[in-house]
Amino acid sequence: MIEEKDWEPKIVAFLCNWCSYAGADLAGTSRMEYPPNVRIIRVPCSGRMNPLFVIKCLMKGVDGVLISGCHINDCHYSEGNFYARRRFAVFKKLLEYMGIDPRRFQMSWVSASEGDKWAKVVGELVDEMKSAGPNRFADRLENHGLPSDRQTHSDEVEVT
Amino acid sequence: MVEELRVKARELLKNKQVELVIGYQRASDGVSATPCFIENEKDTDLLIWDAYCVYNLSSYLKDHPGRKIGIVAKDCDLRSVVVLLQENQLKRENLFILEMECQGVIDERRLQFSDKQNQEISFAQKCKSCQSSKLSISDYVIKDRGEKRKTPDDYDEYGPIRKMEVKATSERLKFWQEEFFRCIRCYACRQICPMCYCPKCVAEQAQPFWFSKAINLEGNFSWNVTRAMHLAGRCIDCGECERACPVGIPLRDINKKIEKDVKELFSYEAGSSTEAKSLFACFNKNDPEGFIK
Repeated sequence: MIEEKDWEPKIVAFLCNWCSYAGADLAGTSRMEYPPNVRIIRVPCSGRMNPLFVIKCLMKGVDGVLISGCHINDCHYSEGNFYARRRFAVFKKLLEYMGIDPRRFQMSWVSASEGDKWAKVVGELVDEMKSAGPNRFADRLENHGLPSDRQTHSDEVEVT
Repeated sequence: MVEELRVKARELLKNKQVELVIGYQRASDGVSATPCFIENEKDTDLLIWDAYCVYNLSSYLKDHPGRKIGIVAKDCDLRSVVVLLQENQLKRENLFILEMECQGVIDERRLQFSDKQNQEISFAQKCKSCQSSKLSISDYVIKDRGEKRKTPDDYDEYGPIRKMEVKATSERLKFWQEEFFRCIRCYACRQICPMCYCPKCVAEQAQPFWFSKAINLEGNFSWNVTRAMHLAGRCIDCGECERACPVGIPLRDINKKIEKDVKELFSYEAGSSTEAKSLFACFNKNDPEGFIK
């Protein structure tokens, strides 16, 4: 386990090829400074995103996952981001319900001209991850999954 | 009801309207019901109907492609037939739907808690919020002439979900970790589900390898979250996954949570109309996006 003080959040960002990836590129070519904690994976469209990508990241110990795509109505494929928006609205709520910190999964719309917005989104995300702390899920897995203070359910049955 | 069902089934088979009737018969224990597949009109007397007919028989429909099938269906089973039709998994003309007016089915695990005064307990949880017969897709409805069972008006079907939602994130994680810790990955939840019909399940895929097949928290958590997500906007709450689970994981609580969100976010209800597109196969320009930066 990494010492808390040396810890830097690891973030995986899935960027759509047409807007957000170009936006992040613009931030780079304009020499904007933003935290280096984000690893970028390019996808054809935010509509390509499968919830499994996110689950796998979180299970393998990534601290935060970001999906970024074109603004609504600007999708290269006309409607890919509409589908993504629907899918991940449900998925985000599900993850939260399953006990995963809602800060660990986020979405943003960043266009090809919004290098500054990209830098801002990453900056905020890193700050949030720092306050959320490391994703301990992967550590727990090695300890066979259960926190040490495990309590068994009581025998009382409430039947309604 | 049973007589009417048998007569109708016999008539269907005799007139070659259907090649096969899928219904319920008495199991060898003399109490429970078990699915039966009748091809010969002489066997129609095997058919039964009572509160033990818990199974959702629509899971069997996909096993007989191209055949004309008569299916005995409760209201919840009808909704799954609707979703299967919506997703082009069935041809309507190959189906003859025998709808049974249902008063609720027994949950065997709850039976021991009921007594003469309170028999309500023995009914499955899903039956408490069931609003029977909103759909009109059946070919033939067999009416129940008995006294209608009353469901409590103040019953909140999302009660347990709301209770869970207000808990702290870490508490929820701990709860689900403990539940999934017991999961033996038998995939009974998948096998029994009428909506899980992929020829190759993501859980069995090795290329790409999405999550561990081993019984550890990573695999168990991933599997259960993925299963729930794949049923988003498709689960019609027949509750079969939870009933089939050998280790008692409250799977319905996950399905209901998604059902609730989908209702709130998109006013969408799975299995309510054959004309509507599936939840994730369509979108609305004004879908909520408060969570997106």
